[in-house]
Amino acid sequence: MKFEKKRSESKQEIPTSSMPDIIFMLLLFFMVATTLREQEIFVNFVLPEAKAVQKIENKRLVSYIWIGDNERIQIDDNIVELKQIQKIMYDKRVTLPSVIVSLRADKNSRMGLVTDIQQSLRKADARRINYSARALF
Amino acid sequence: MVNLKRKKRAGGEFSAGSMADITFLLLLFFLVTTNIDVDTGIGLVLPEYVPEEERIDTPISKERLVAILVNANGDVLLNKEVIAIPQISENLKEKIRSKINLPKNKKLICSIKVDRETNYNLFMKTLDQVEIAYTEVREEYAMGTYGRKVNDLTDEEYKDVREKVFKVVSFAEPEEIK
Repeated sequence: MKFEKKRSESKQEIPTSSMPDIIFMLLLFFMVATTLREQEIFVNFVLPEAKAVQKIENKRLVSYIWIGDNERIQIDDNIVELKQIQKIMYDKRVTLPSVIVSLRADKNSRMGLVTDIQQSLRKADARRINYSARALF
Repeated sequence: MVNLKRKKRAGGEFSAGSMADITFLLLLFFLVTTNIDVDTGIGLVLPEYVPEEERIDTPISKERLVAILVNANGDVLLNKEVIAIPQISENLKEKIRSKINLPKNKKLICSIKVDRETNYNLFMKTLDQVEIAYTEVREEYAMGTYGRKVNDLTDEEYKDVREKVFKVVSFAEPEEIK
């Protein structure tokens, strides 16, 4: 008896013609999801860790204050003095009333400095604050 | 004779074969530049600034107040009792639970006071403990009353949970050094 291999008639290829469409879709997703890193950070910091952290829902409202390991403070693209913070944050609060200040402080900072910044924020009436921390599970 | 007839051009097509490669390249670029990591942190609203002359001290009854003091060495004093940082949440939870059914003006006030030389990390750990205590009690209350997690509650139910387990965290007014 003769065995004959059955060959299916259909082609054994993956259709690649829709590949560009799929990739376009992915591309669009990443383009929308991307926020280009517009700020360069001049200070060194390691964030503290915490368990009960929340996400910041609205990234557009966030304004950052960095505190580096040698007590340097950065707002936007500048290293600033403690005395200037109140004015800068007041201006920000005027342009964007619901601004959230995200404090990205090094975990070895002194609380004295953090308290001083808090006081400036209170005086500038920019009172929504977020102590940035890495999520710990 | 000169042939005036125009040559027929090849059909107006462009090769779409390299399209996938180009988009791949773009895709790679956005993949590399995207930072998906979201900002996480502990959110609070600072109290309004009142100049010293206008400050009015309102007396608060002892049982409403939980004073947490953290000194420069990381020692914690909770209502004059020395405890370790990880014990704060357990301690607080009991106090929060006992005040669920009280009116709003009798809820717990959690006051955190730190030394100027205290490490920021210690402060964050303390604040984290307070947050944990409140979130866990809220979770318990939501489970007990509505049988669901806080995240699955409707807006009104969530509001009720927030009212019942009302969070007041206060930072002690820093003392001026003269």
